[in-house]
Amino acid sequence: MFVKPFRYERASSVTEACALLREYDGEAKVIAGGQSLLPMINLGLVDPSAVVDISRIAGLDGVAERNGSLDVGALTRHRALEGDALVARHQPLLAEAVRSVGNTRVRNRGTLGGSLAHGDPAAELPLAMTVLEAEYEVSNGNATRTIAAGEFPLTYFTTQLAEDELLTGVRVPKLPAGWGWGFHEVSRRPGDFAVVAAAAVVRCRGGAIEDARVGLAGVSERPVRLTSVEAALAGVPVSQIEDVVGEVDAIEPITDTMASAGYRRRLARVLARRVLADACQRSEGAD
Amino acid sequence: MTQDITVTLTVNGRTVTRAAGAHLSLLRWLRDVADVTDPKYGCGEGVCGACTVLVDGEPVSSCIVLAAQVDAAEVTTVAGLAGADGVLDGLQQAFLEHGAAQCGFCTPGMLMAATELVSRGVRLDRDTIRGELHGNLCRCTGYQAIVDAIASVAGGERG
Repeated sequence: MFVKPFRYERASSVTEACALLREYDGEAKVIAGGQSLLPMINLGLVDPSAVVDISRIAGLDGVAERNGSLDVGALTRHRALEGDALVARHQPLLAEAVRSVGNTRVRNRGTLGGSLAHGDPAAELPLAMTVLEAEYEVSNGNATRTIAAGEFPLTYFTTQLAEDELLTGVRVPKLPAGWGWGFHEVSRRPGDFAVVAAAAVVRCRGGAIEDARVGLAGVSERPVRLTSVEAALAGVPVSQIEDVVGEVDAIEPITDTMASAGYRRRLARVLARRVLADACQRSEGAD
Repeated sequence: MTQDITVTLTVNGRTVTRAAGAHLSLLRWLRDVADVTDPKYGCGEGVCGACTVLVDGEPVSSCIVLAAQVDAAEVTTVAGLAGADGVLDGLQQAFLEHGAAQCGFCTPGMLMAATELVSRGVRLDRDTIRGELHGNLCRCTGYQAIVDAIASVAGGERG
């Protein structure tokens, strides 16, 4: 493990972190838990001039309930989300998704903001946030803006974040009464990134779907919502989910060492059906 | 552009202060700077668990944590488990009795992961132990004896 030396800068505020990022003019990387960045550095995939450590900035972690949403600080560690009572109660899909992230050690150090900003197209949390229609709060130290979770990732490991911007928090709407959720993934080994992951939230009544949102990760350059499937599901009896999901055309899976494009297509189909069925069952059970 | 940074860690009860490269992982800091060589370098990606140490009681992959980030923390490595008199702790003794080490490379990490697992104070069945340890790889594939050893301490059943 030869690592090219880099400088270490510890920021004590968002303003200071963003100023440091500007100072290094694109040559510095943000580090919080480091569970994505440091493996990449160790493997020689990135060699920053400096890392800007935001992990000790006060006030950026924890979950709070506000106006029908959960406000989650970007520095909230996976392990904290996993055991959070508000998340378990108001957005169980998120609790389930975070349990699938990495191993215990990764979840002890890794942060929500880090996972979202890293932009791995097979990661669980960006998918969950896309399906839950979360909003991200982003700051450059002077001004803040809000970005919809579904629009935040652009392509592989690339997001809308400018070089001097930080993701500071996430607003996750609570799961409304009467809705159910589903989350499944297939990975080669427990703790690996998903080969394909699927998430859904659905409102069902009397055996028929009233409203549905469903998305997939691992099948495109970023998480995708299956919007045409969602539209076609309205009013459909639960027994016909399989027909409506069909072949899942709106994806562009690739072949790599984990799986072939064809196998990913098959997983997409099966997992989409499965999360929708689970979500319907939970929705009906919630009534 | 090298930068030395002074880091103070309490390693197995001993306070160590060293100035070293700001880019050093906790693992390299421990092994190369502080001469604490029991955590092992395996994959460098946080996947294999050979470098597992406890930082303030939580297991982390020391190869993907910067020493500078955990300045002032309390670090426990496998060498910190035995008493000052050299008497092994319960898990170490169980590993010994169950033959839960073959080449031994994964053992320091396995023991640290198991230490935190057992410290949760809940009864662990074999499936739970296996699930919790999926992030610690034994390339001798000696998992059976490792799970036996942990189960014998954590109240799980044999078999």
